[in-house]
Amino acid sequence: MQCSKCGNPKVIYKREQSGQLLCKDCFIESIEKKVIKTVKKENLLDKGDKVLVALSGGKDSVTTLEILNTFRERNIIDICAVTVDEGIANYRQEGVDIAVRHAERLGIEHNVVSLKEEYGISLDEIMQRDNHKGSCTYCGVFRRTIINKAAREMHATKIATGHNLDDEVQAIMMNYLEGNMNNLGKLGAKTESQAEEFTVKIKPLREIPEREIGLYVVAKDLEVHFDSCPYAMQSFRGEVSEVINQLTQKHPTIKYSTLRGYDKMKPVMEKEFKKDYAHGRCERCGEPASNQLCKACSFLEELGV
Amino acid sequence: MSFTLKYKSINEKREIPNENYTIKDLLDELELSAQTMVSKQNGELVIEDTVINDNDEIQLVQIIYGG
Repeated sequence: MQCSKCGNPKVIYKREQSGQLLCKDCFIESIEKKVIKTVKKENLLDKGDKVLVALSGGKDSVTTLEILNTFRERNIIDICAVTVDEGIANYRQEGVDIAVRHAERLGIEHNVVSLKEEYGISLDEIMQRDNHKGSCTYCGVFRRTIINKAAREMHATKIATGHNLDDEVQAIMMNYLEGNMNNLGKLGAKTESQAEEFTVKIKPLREIPEREIGLYVVAKDLEVHFDSCPYAMQSFRGEVSEVINQLTQKHPTIKYSTLRGYDKMKPVMEKEFKKDYAHGRCERCGEPASNQLCKACSFLEELGV
Repeated sequence: MSFTLKYKSINEKREIPNENYTIKDLLDELELSAQTMVSKQNGELVIEDTVINDNDEIQLVQIIYGG
């Protein structure tokens, strides 16, 4: 057994979808090349961009930072990062510390924003309320709002997230199965909003399977936070993920074909399901909102914060 | 014939039950999915088809968590 590219007998990975065998160096190179290819193919970066990496300290965001940094080293872009501390005891701090160390290692501007400081309540405190709507509901909305605000404050022109192939395929299938055509049309490598307050979002890892990102960080000895969120529960996403992974065992290319099919359909969906942009502003915080309050502020009102 | 298993807080000597006992066999025995793990043999990354030898140190790293 030897590396399909260089003949090295020390193989660390077998690509089920192609049968390709790869040694450590060729595997690392293949991931980096593929991400750079996505960046070019989807026009994710423009020269002079300042990219804000949403850096949790987990494998996906650390890989995003690591590979985008190669563009920074070539003076194509500048990079900054933000880490959201949701306030989850015995879980979050390790990721925050790792994110801080990566930012220091690369010498990039980095802010840590906590839910407690920003909104006066942590996720742990929200979850002690009897009337809470589930941790992921708050976490998703508050995190998005904080990252958007950070992008404006740090004068970023793009926000890069660590969404990988598995995340993207799960989102496509979840929205399709739920018949949510509006959200289905908003996926993709690059998301631009009509609201100028929302910075363009990019997903450079969109074509990399989650497992390959995990192997990449171990192969490169990158420090990451490998752990499960204590609030993770059996979600619809989890169920969809299980089905897709089961199918992948017999049909190893199915995640890629789902993504390719979606990319072909997206322009049609954008045209057919285009919604008028909400021109309103939240009465409480001034963020774009289709109602009197934005989603984050309506949650805060319900929580009495 | 034995090897050392390192996985999370586990650090123990285990017997090699038969010839050609692979990391995949070990993962099956521990009821761990190869899709969520990477494996190191004596500090070097290897694929799951790798045969475990006497005195090997096998380290398992979980890279995918739910949620």
